[in-house]
Amino acid sequence: MNWEAVFTANNVRRLLIGDYPGDLGGVALTLTLSLIAMVFATLLGLLVGYARFAGARPLRWAAAGYVELLRNIPLLVLIFWAYFAPPYFGYTPTKFSSVLVALILFNAAYIAEVVRSGLLSVSTGQTEAARALGMSPLQQALYVMLPIATYNTIPAMTGRYITLLKGTSLAFLIGLSEVTEIGRQINNRLLTAPVEIYATLLMIYFCLNRSLSAGMRLFEDRRRFNRIFCFFAR
Amino acid sequence: MYHLDWSSFFDVGGHLLLEGALVTLELSALSLVLALILGFLFGALRWSSIGLLKPICWLYVEFLRNTPPLVQILFWYFSATVILPTSVILVLREYGFQFVAATFALGLYHSSFIAEIVRGGLNAIPRGQYEAAQAIGFSLPQTLRYILLPQLLRIIAPTLTSEAVSLVKNTSMALAIGVTEITYQARYIDYSAFRGVEALLVVTAFYLVLCLAIAGLGHGLQRWLSRNRRTAV
Repeated sequence: MNWEAVFTANNVRRLLIGDYPGDLGGVALTLTLSLIAMVFATLLGLLVGYARFAGARPLRWAAAGYVELLRNIPLLVLIFWAYFAPPYFGYTPTKFSSVLVALILFNAAYIAEVVRSGLLSVSTGQTEAARALGMSPLQQALYVMLPIATYNTIPAMTGRYITLLKGTSLAFLIGLSEVTEIGRQINNRLLTAPVEIYATLLMIYFCLNRSLSAGMRLFEDRRRFNRIFCFFAR
Repeated sequence: MYHLDWSSFFDVGGHLLLEGALVTLELSALSLVLALILGFLFGALRWSSIGLLKPICWLYVEFLRNTPPLVQILFWYFSATVILPTSVILVLREYGFQFVAATFALGLYHSSFIAEIVRGGLNAIPRGQYEAAQAIGFSLPQTLRYILLPQLLRIIAPTLTSEAVSLVKNTSMALAIGVTEITYQARYIDYSAFRGVEALLVVTAFYLVLCLAIAGLGHGLQRWLSRNRRTAV
């Protein structure tokens, strides 16, 4: 085993932050990409999921079509669409934006299904009670459906976020220097320590994902969830 | 505006995409078989919770589930030459070393998900079922064949189907190590013949049809498994 060759100060620095203050890369870029994609995929997923749950009929069909189309093609093909197709139409996107768009569109389709199942999990007694109290449809959605549905979907959302984070590794196939690409570059230069390098990459992703699911598990405590939700609902 | 040009596209790329499609199908089928075998094995082991095996099964499932399949493919591909003896490597070369590595990596990755599905399915079968089987004098093989398996398959068929779809989609990652599956061919057509949009359209349609077909098949399987359903489970 040749761990010394892998864990030089320079390699570790590149794995963590890439060539920053030049181009940001490595774990930092992986996390940036994941976080932005998570936020926007969740927002888009909420819209599509709600449209499929409660929209007018054409809207519901459009949402269903979106979900079925995006869930049945590989993320990689979507990334290739986002990066290699626009130049044919005279527009050259950056690698970062291509990957980001593909990640958001792809994961939003799955999150929409999670959202829909969450909305379906709200029992009719709850919504009827809200109506009996004289809440407007908006109030019902915001103060009754949303908190219950959000709480019920935490485990499924954790799974989606982990898949999203794993999906960022595909960015290296179009040459974006996130952590997998940096690992590949180090491997190409050394040539003698592939096991060590790729094992390191696996460990990095493992730690990131375990931290992510540990963080999400904090919200599964109902009282803590209520406190946080009330804080944002104010 | 870009004009699609199908005639010259099919002269160049038609047979390439066809070859790629066959490789994708082959890769999917083989890694699905591997994933099912390992998944059922580790799922049953995790469910049985035998003291010594417990941490090993936990590590197997958690490590494979929490790391990207793409990095796993790269890991097995680049590490195989170090881990395996040279004679084995030479034999594997005969069958296309990249292909074997991708099959192995994808099979292992999805086996971890299938293991969790199987464990969940086994947990969903009420204890009373085994006790009832014992009470009417079923042997262990009989209990497995007539009590456990029919219920288990019915419970896990829908999730297993979506796992198979996800496996088919993940075979596209094999292009990272140079397996000439359909996405690889699309890239090749893009940079050799500059017909990238047509190639991507064909590839997208191919995956869409294949995945929807598998979903339909899974639905049919689910209906067939539930044909004699009388109990609540």
